[in-house]
Amino acid sequence: MEARQPVEIFMAVTKALFIRELNMRFTSGKAGLFWTFFKPFMQVLVFVLIKVVIFGRASDNIDYAAFLALNFTAFNMFKNIISASSGAFNANKGLFVYKQVKPIDTIIARIFVEIFISGIIIVIFVFIGIYFDFDLDVKSLPMVALAFISIILFAFSFGLLVAVGNKFYQSIGKVVNILLTFLMFGSAVFYAIEMVPVEIQEYLLLNPLTHFMEMLHGNYFYVLDDRFVDYRYMALWTLSFLFLGMILYRKLEERIISE
Amino acid sequence: MIRLKGVTKYYPTKSGRNYILKNVSFDMPSKCNIAILGRNGAGKSTLMRMLGYIEFPNSGEILSDYTFSWPLGLGGGFVGNMTGKANVKFVCRLYGKSKDEIKAIASYVKEFSELGKYFDMPIRTYSSGMRGRLSFGLSLAFDFDYMLIDETLSVGDTRFKKKSKEALMKKIEQSSVLLVSHDVKTVKEICDSGIILDQGKLNFHEDVSEAIEAYETINKQPASK
Repeated sequence: MEARQPVEIFMAVTKALFIRELNMRFTSGKAGLFWTFFKPFMQVLVFVLIKVVIFGRASDNIDYAAFLALNFTAFNMFKNIISASSGAFNANKGLFVYKQVKPIDTIIARIFVEIFISGIIIVIFVFIGIYFDFDLDVKSLPMVALAFISIILFAFSFGLLVAVGNKFYQSIGKVVNILLTFLMFGSAVFYAIEMVPVEIQEYLLLNPLTHFMEMLHGNYFYVLDDRFVDYRYMALWTLSFLFLGMILYRKLEERIISE
Repeated sequence: MIRLKGVTKYYPTKSGRNYILKNVSFDMPSKCNIAILGRNGAGKSTLMRMLGYIEFPNSGEILSDYTFSWPLGLGGGFVGNMTGKANVKFVCRLYGKSKDEIKAIASYVKEFSELGKYFDMPIRTYSSGMRGRLSFGLSLAFDFDYMLIDETLSVGDTRFKKKSKEALMKKIEQSSVLLVSHDVKTVKEICDSGIILDQGKLNFHEDVSEAIEAYETINKQPASK
């Protein structure tokens, strides 16, 4: 058999795993699949209703439904990438008999699946937006794309760390999952930082995810901006998670394969 | 050449380390079908997994520029809730096969493994024999320098055994085999040389019948400790 380049092998493996994961997602029960695509719409609907009930219809010239759609898509993707990563090693244990499958490939494949699903959700939202004549004008599309990419990178770093952490301590994944559910309230998902009282702004800004969300909607809506975003803070969290995750992964890779 | 350089492999047990290999350096001759013999728990499968790069020595290294199959055992490496066909396609993609090649391999495996309807059923509905047949059929579709075979030849009924042995004999005209088996007859038929694993030591016998003799001597001794 002719020798393949490492990059070729990596591409082939990631593609094979991606197709496999997608296959499993779309064949293993309709309820799960339905919920995957229905959940973001529910979230948007519920929070729009809450807002209308509490604050009435009067609005501060921001399209709240679009605001929620954007933020929930990004936040869900973040959360799903992390929970998918944390279970990736165990779910794919049997595949490590093929020596070209490295544990980290299973994480990367799962991340691509989450990105793919988020992409579908975005397309659905855009179509709904067009149909109901929402204003779909974006302040800076490249910056919004960059925000999504930053979130994916942060999620990958975080997810890798959780995945290797799981090897030390079984319940880390579960703890992180619960933490992330609470994190939704403190991450500028259904509000922008400029909408909250000044006293709690600084506490919310300690949470790195807040910065990512602020970057996202600050560059999407003309009425918002990214003045609260500390890009260095974002990079610091991402890189230190990535660094720590990679070190631990390198140490544990062989153990994960042969387990 | 397959070269073991100062390889040590052990498993921790409650009463200290259980050595599979203890500082073993050894060059395996090329183009040679080798049997790996030893008692239960001597580390035959571990050695095989190390050659397949899915298990790693505690120290030392294993160097080789050959391609190895995945260890062909009873049904490892398949995903239970995917169909046999989907699993075959998955492995083909891992090895970077094109669409047409995948199609050809899938139909070959279906025919060889004689799974019929089960080929499109999830693997978890298979018996272990059926898994073994699928695994073996799939491995025949690829060209490796070395096939790592862990007792798979005892899969299926007599007729299928005969068929798979014939297929294997044809296959080893181009590739070599590393075989773990307790079946002396099979070992004699397929292998040229033999490796005996015993208490952390690796003994190579160029002639397979010598290896079998040595193996039988070890087997007669009472188990140590």
